[in-house]
Amino acid sequence: MRYLLHLRRLATCLLFLTPLLATATTVIPASVEKITAKSTDVVHARAIDSQSRWNPERTRIYTYTRFEVRRTLKGTAPNVITVKQMGGSAGGYTQRVSGVQYWQPGEEAVLFLRPSSDRDGTLSITGVMQGSFRLKRQPSGQVMVTNGVPYVSAFDAQTGSTASYRGSRMTLQQLEDRVRKAVQ
Amino acid sequence: MSPFNNFDRRDRVRLVFSGLAMFSLVVLGLVIATPAFSYLPLFTRANGTGHADHWDFNAFPVTFRINPETKDNIRGSISAPDAVTASFAAWVAAPNAALVVNRGPDTTLTSEGFDGNNLICFVCTADFADDSDTIAVTVTTVSDRPGEDTKHGTTSLFAGQILDADILFNPSVDFTTGGTGGESFQTIAVHEVGHFFGLDHSGIVRALMFPFAPDLQTTLSYDDVAGISSLYPKNPADVPTGTIAGTIRSTSGGPIFGAHVFADSTSTALPYGLGVRKSAISAVTRPDGTYSIQGVPIDTYTVTAEPLDEPVSNRNIEGYASAFGKGSVQTDFKTRWH
Repeated sequence: MRYLLHLRRLATCLLFLTPLLATATTVIPASVEKITAKSTDVVHARAIDSQSRWNPERTRIYTYTRFEVRRTLKGTAPNVITVKQMGGSAGGYTQRVSGVQYWQPGEEAVLFLRPSSDRDGTLSITGVMQGSFRLKRQPSGQVMVTNGVPYVSAFDAQTGSTASYRGSRMTLQQLEDRVRKAVQ
Repeated sequence: MSPFNNFDRRDRVRLVFSGLAMFSLVVLGLVIATPAFSYLPLFTRANGTGHADHWDFNAFPVTFRINPETKDNIRGSISAPDAVTASFAAWVAAPNAALVVNRGPDTTLTSEGFDGNNLICFVCTADFADDSDTIAVTVTTVSDRPGEDTKHGTTSLFAGQILDADILFNPSVDFTTGGTGGESFQTIAVHEVGHFFGLDHSGIVRALMFPFAPDLQTTLSYDDVAGISSLYPKNPADVPTGTIAGTIRSTSGGPIFGAHVFADSTSTALPYGLGVRKSAISAVTRPDGTYSIQGVPIDTYTVTAEPLDEPVSNRNIEGYASAFGKGSVQTDFKTRWH
């Protein structure tokens, strides 16, 4: 899987690229506001358990993770929701979708959700990866969230300017504020 | 044998991870060859450790089948099927790699699954189709153990054997195959074909397998060549290579798991000629802190280690940690030169 995160005007940008990942990258990430708009539900939730199984046709493996909803930021999600993702391990096989992340029991995340395309009562993560912001508690007590989209800066050869993108790392409070504002 | 036995230590650089010392070395010429992982394949966990996913081209013919149906979201100077075929050809032509894959008859399939068909489709029915932020997806099915049905009338031979791989392009994304606006179709295709062959994302920015898409990049880098030739080595090799191996530890002696270690050439030599983009070549350390960067052409290198703390992070290679029974790679250290 590859995400819509571009190295714009590559010839120029390559001047700035190093293997240390100090990238000259222009990001077109899905913003929190965009992901919120595309989602029917946004919740702060904690993973309870997870299981993977084949579909009835035995062609696809899905992983189902149950979450306890701790706070609802958008929508009317019940107290316990099930998130369905492509891939997982079942019956001697693993089906792998590079870029899809799974949760461990007890892990907390802010999830941007929409009904699964199978309309089976489960929910899917909006934007596959971008709609899952995992919580990480800092030693200072501050709670940070990120969906893995990196912090990068970009050199624009046309304007000669460098723009910085904060990526998706922010405090939980900042994320919740942005979601609530987007919902209004 | 110490992994550093064959290293030239003249230009030793000291790194500090959160105040903990590590080593960076300049390596001259061929170094030791140890059976280990280079670059970053996808891994399947079995018997307590990770096994690199790969096809066995002797087990059954590996063919990909294209559903040629396209919408007006793909425009440009060549057809999408031709661009996909060219993307496979780019990997098949990789020096030092022996890939045996063919294009089979076209198909009308539109969704992925473990069905014996390696599908490439452009108007696909996958669940991501409503997400315009995800460009394409590759789904691979691997055997967790020997003896599983391959859907080809045989049983699997080893844990991590790839049995099926499907590449689905998002019909909600505007692509170009050249000469028009939109995402570079072949840039995406050649990356997904890397997943098809079992490669995970790379932390090397210039690699095709870097997880974030550039505007246009369709030729393999040294990192890509190292990865594919490690999974599918050609014998004899087109270009002589060696392996750089070592162990990353903190000053307290504890191993660092998941450190991104890369060898960067300090010369202008082009051992692969002009057809491969020169880049650093990387590996990621295992739970015991060891690393092994295979497929390294003869040259002079600086070897550096760093945490995978963005832009590529554990989330981009999450299967790596779980393959070794870990929740995440270690990033609680810093890289610094003295």
